[in-house]
Amino acid sequence: MKAAQLDFLKLFGGTTILSKQVVSELFRRPLYFRLIVEQIYQIGIRSLPLVIVTAGSTGMVMALQFGLGLEKFGGKLYIPKIVSLSIVREMGPVFTCLVLAARIGAGITSEIGSMTVTQQIDAIRALGTSPIKRIVIPRVIGALIAIPILSIAANFVGILGALLVGANDLGLDPVFFVQKVLTTVWVPDFLAGFFKTPVFAGIIAIVGCYFGLTVKGGTKGVGSATRQSVVTSSICILVGDYFLTKFFWIFEQWL
Amino acid sequence: MAIIEVKHFNKSFDGHAVHKDVSFRVEKGECLGLVGGSGIGKSVVLRSLIGLEKPTSGEIWIEGEEISKLKERDLTAIRKKVAYVFQNGALFDSMSVYDNLAYPLREHTAFNEDEIQTRIHDQLEEFGLLEAEGKLPAELSGGMQKRVGLARAMMIGPKVILYDEPTAGLDPYNTLKIRETVLRLKKKGVTSVFVTHDMPTAIAVCDRFVMLGEGRVLDERRADELSRKDPGPLERFITGDYGGY
Ligand SMILES: Nc1ncnc2c1ncn2[C@@H]1O[C@H](COP(=O)(O)OP(=O)(O)OP(=O)(O)O)[C@@H](O)[C@H]1O
Ligand SMILES: [Mg+2]
Repeated sequence: MKAAQLDFLKLFGGTTILSKQVVSELFRRPLYFRLIVEQIYQIGIRSLPLVIVTAGSTGMVMALQFGLGLEKFGGKLYIPKIVSLSIVREMGPVFTCLVLAARIGAGITSEIGSMTVTQQIDAIRALGTSPIKRIVIPRVIGALIAIPILSIAANFVGILGALLVGANDLGLDPVFFVQKVLTTVWVPDFLAGFFKTPVFAGIIAIVGCYFGLTVKGGTKGVGSATRQSVVTSSICILVGDYFLTKFFWIFEQWL
Repeated sequence: MAIIEVKHFNKSFDGHAVHKDVSFRVEKGECLGLVGGSGIGKSVVLRSLIGLEKPTSGEIWIEGEEISKLKERDLTAIRKKVAYVFQNGALFDSMSVYDNLAYPLREHTAFNEDEIQTRIHDQLEEFGLLEAEGKLPAELSGGMQKRVGLARAMMIGPKVILYDEPTAGLDPYNTLKIRETVLRLKKKGVTSVFVTHDMPTAIAVCDRFVMLGEGRVLDERRADELSRKDPGPLERFITGDYGGY
């Protein structure tokens, strides 16, 4: 128990310090623009297939589940409304970030972790350059740009999946479906989900980099750091989601 | 003035002291052999000389500047003067040999790509690495990787080089190549600290020896003072009579 508390403090302190270093070095030259673009590509474009499959199947399953449930009460017509709202407000952004925590978080930690154990991070420092600038900042910025965009894509693909199931399996008119979605989902609904994604992106990148930079114990250490990184950022996303949802709820009331 | 001076260096990890009180100095142009048993903390000392590791207490002076309390950002100037040759080369494995060598130039000089290319060619030729230019580190033998690491460390003409076991695990040919390189750089006036377990090479290149053990300097001797007749800890360590712990 004591060790677990200590680990938690280390993690909390370590990620806080890392975030501070990122902020303080962000505005110092040089800014490695090429490395940032490379990370946007790695994180954004290369994750797109995974996001499409996840979002598409989530939308399809949700339409099917709600369809079967609501049909009994003659509530099939509410499907477009319910499904699109759940996707845009919650499932799209959060599911996307969860699968990306696995894909991107694991990628970041294992890549940086191998660099740490082979002394490449030390070499960056020894050659008078900064691993925060060359390694951490490009990944943080890459995630902050790519993940929100991916989550928007996920919203569209998810609703599209629901539309397909609605039209094929539930006998809903596609035009009616689209009209319903367009009249239901409004800017606050979109923002309620979307505003969480930069927060989750930051968590994924910072936690991933932190575990990569602090790997100990050779190749085996890289494996366990990768596992810890994915578990930690997934938990942070799920717990953080509750608080962010509540925060936005209060904010909406106040509006 | 000594180019490197270590004063009462103390370093602990998790409360366990690796070094208790280590002091030594390195004069300009000199090659200092730093020897001692495995795990005695030679790499820790070497890493501390460029701020990769912070002393728990004590001071480290490089060219009259105390560096142990400098921030990471302020160590850049020191790291341009003092190069570190890593035990396994520590090459960037996602970059070709060419890009590895170009790295220090692109970061710290204003050369354009043509000038960089010329310099890298000269360097590859000098280190006998021309055929490795376009290869990735993983495609090279361990000996080649070490030589590339050495060539990379030398790209921006440092005043001091710290060698961490540059010949460990190398065949006689590569060992000789490294030895020649160290001697050549020494002739150019570069100061060096040479950590090694390879005693023939150490004796061939070092002017002076410092032996670490029990958390301090156990023995210290100029190379031409080493004596067979009246062996101290250093001589006994070199001949293998004494492990140093
Ligand atoms: N980051 C660290 N955390 C904890 N302990 C460390 C760390 N770095 C080094 N040590 C410990 O310090 C001691 C000295 O290590 P060091 O690598 O400097 O030895 P060395 O003299 O270079 O040995 P070798 O000749 O085998 O390379 C070892 O006992 C090692 O466990
Ligand atoms: Mg060592």
